[in-house]
Amino acid sequence: MRTIIAGIGYRNLRDHSVGPLLVDRLAGQRWPDGVAVEDLSYGPIAVVQRFEDDPLDRRFDRAVVVSAVQRDREPGSLTVYRWDGVLPSEEGVQRAVVDAVTGVIYLDNTLVVARHFRALPAEVIVIEVEPILHEFGDGFSPAVAEAFETMCRLARTLATDCASGEAIPVAGLGGGSPAATTAP
Amino acid sequence: MCFKNLPIDFDSAGKPFLRGGVADPYSQATAAPIGAPTQLTAERVEDLLRRNGHIKSVDFDPVTRVAGALAFHTVADLKARRVLEARSVATLFRGYEVIMIGRDPRDAIFITSRACGVCGGVHGTCSALATEMAIGCCPPPLGVLIRNLMLALEFLYDNPLHLHLLAGPDYSQAIVEPTNPSLYARAQKTEAPHAEVHGYRTMADLMTDLNPLTGKLYLEALHMTRVAREAYVLIAGKYPHPQTIVPGGVSSTITLTVMNEMFLRLAQFFDYSKKITGIWDDITDFFYEADPQYMKVGARRAHLIDTGIFDDPDAYDATYANAAAWGNRRWATPGAIVDGQLVTTDLHRINMGIEEFVDHSFYEGWTGEGRTPHFPTDSEGNPLSPHHPWNKITKPRPQGQNWKEKYTWDTTPRWDRNAMEAGCYARLWNTAVAQQLPDNPFIEATGHSLKVRMPRGALPEMELEWHVPKVWNAFERNRARAHCVAFTAMVAMNNWLAAMDRIKNGDLRTSTKFDIPQKGERVGVGFWGAGRGYLTHHLVLDRGAVSNYQIVTPSTWNASPTDAWQQPGPYEEAVLNTPLLEESDDPAKFRGIDILRAIRSFDPCMPCTTHIQSEGGMITREVNTCACGLDG
Repeated sequence: MRTIIAGIGYRNLRDHSVGPLLVDRLAGQRWPDGVAVEDLSYGPIAVVQRFEDDPLDRRFDRAVVVSAVQRDREPGSLTVYRWDGVLPSEEGVQRAVVDAVTGVIYLDNTLVVARHFRALPAEVIVIEVEPILHEFGDGFSPAVAEAFETMCRLARTLATDCASGEAIPVAGLGGGSPAATTAP
Repeated sequence: MCFKNLPIDFDSAGKPFLRGGVADPYSQATAAPIGAPTQLTAERVEDLLRRNGHIKSVDFDPVTRVAGALAFHTVADLKARRVLEARSVATLFRGYEVIMIGRDPRDAIFITSRACGVCGGVHGTCSALATEMAIGCCPPPLGVLIRNLMLALEFLYDNPLHLHLLAGPDYSQAIVEPTNPSLYARAQKTEAPHAEVHGYRTMADLMTDLNPLTGKLYLEALHMTRVAREAYVLIAGKYPHPQTIVPGGVSSTITLTVMNEMFLRLAQFFDYSKKITGIWDDITDFFYEADPQYMKVGARRAHLIDTGIFDDPDAYDATYANAAAWGNRRWATPGAIVDGQLVTTDLHRINMGIEEFVDHSFYEGWTGEGRTPHFPTDSEGNPLSPHHPWNKITKPRPQGQNWKEKYTWDTTPRWDRNAMEAGCYARLWNTAVAQQLPDNPFIEATGHSLKVRMPRGALPEMELEWHVPKVWNAFERNRARAHCVAFTAMVAMNNWLAAMDRIKNGDLRTSTKFDIPQKGERVGVGFWGAGRGYLTHHLVLDRGAVSNYQIVTPSTWNASPTDAWQQPGPYEEAVLNTPLLEESDDPAKFRGIDILRAIRSFDPCMPCTTHIQSEGGMITREVNTCACGLDG
């Protein structure tokens, strides 16, 4: 199985830097063949094109996508789910594309746009953390810093153990089911 | 006469001076704009709403996740099918001007780049221009040429994206068929005049491929954004927010290999330009022929402003003193157009006519009673208004929204007190009329049109011609934007050839070393352009740190509110003039497509979701605005 661990977020934006910083941490580690660690914190259309560039026999089967997303949950809580891949209405997808080409980098947008253009791997497992600090600067909040270590371990397990994803609940964007939200 | 409203005259040598005997030359009472349209007063509109059941508020209420937002308030007479009141509202303050105070000017390139997710490179470059003028640092020729290429490639990303991803869907089968069924029926029977170039036999075929998400033109535009970006990063390292822009040039290493790789991408725009100019010529002409009322959609006076772009490396010296001279050597000529007439191409005159007002904006004024402006003149002795960006102080003052008083975070820039419009089309118009283009094999200005000779690709060599339009409206904005892609591609071609000559001769230097002077006060301005037109950064340095920084972008002009003379801003004026041609007698099904075409034709770029509140409920639509300069 080929797996990509992808971070999405903004550097120097406190808790919202979780995605790129997780990639920094994991990219320096040793990985078995078939596992890639990449920062996908760029335009979703370019993300689509990046996946499309892979030859058919080298495409990923699983994406483990890591990001901080504000959804008014318990601060610092982790939500882990296998995305059901359900897209919004056509108007919603068009809005996502417009956001994409005008500079918005955001987990939901990247997933919606990449799924619409059939670029995403078949299985997408999302690891989200509820951010607390939203301002410019280095360093996570204590709760997100603690969650970060769990996220790194989880991403590694999901990328190296094929069976590890089976217990993860299927859900829409953001989790949406109590089972998807777990304490770090 | 350059200025008709401000009391500025010129002596026999062409030197400007303030007219004698005018006690307060820049007061609002002294120099009111002559012949400008006016909005109804808020009181009058309230009265109409109270007394007429068919007059309704139609509010465009934005929700956005990102850094800027545009809202639009209108009052429409649904019986007469026209708009009575239009108010353009920038809903967020972002305050780059405030953030910049006290910083090292080198930071400005990277901080102001973040003003926009699409056009970071143009802000970075404009900032570098302002800084190099302030510190006295001129780039080497190859640095100027690479900078020109970088910006051309930004526009080749930006303009097709707007045409087919943002504006295109407004003219697609998915929108036209439900909003104007008779128009779509006509499209099915109408052959497309440029079928041989773009490949669509009927207008309905063309409209179908403009459909969002599935249309071939939509998908092709997505692909072309990649081509332009790849070309850009080859010479600038990365996008968005390139790190290679510096005062005094660019820090990229340029080689023949890089240039050849870049050219392979640039050349893809030759055929693409032929195709999209044919498409937008056909769309425009089809709508006009179907119903001449479409000429009124988004119509307003042809008041356009642009500072020009793409420098001549043999002319540009980064000084303000010579700005009028090097400005006129640009590939896109600077200019102010008033009522369709080009009144100046002189960057000094353009600069001295600029003022920013805050009568309807959430800011405090800074020109208190008896206060002397910091810069009563520029360094050449040309008079400057107390409202000029170099004299402006950004003083945000959040408060409740009130149409009679303050209702937006955008300021009100005016030139000679006129509500000017910014757009890439101003570039075409100035250049076509001024006829100051350098000798070159590809672009010719005729005085009334711009001819662009596109080299052979899969399609044969072709001469495209954009004519100065007789009417100025939403359709002409889009048509001109398509022709601007061709113009930009061939400006890039000229600069590529010039850069290759330099490289072959071993002239590989792309930047000039500089220091930031730590003593005294220094002033600079970046006169540049974004994909959607005019861009200035006005900078004041005091002992090596920024003491004032003012950004005026295309959207600052276009989204500006009504001014103290009740003169509407460009979006407002365009919407006020827009007839409601949508075929719907049921207010519940009203989509506001004509209003949206009017606003979107200006190429607003920052996404904001706009909810149109009609009698039948909320309809979610999008208006995208470049809000990168909406705040002061």
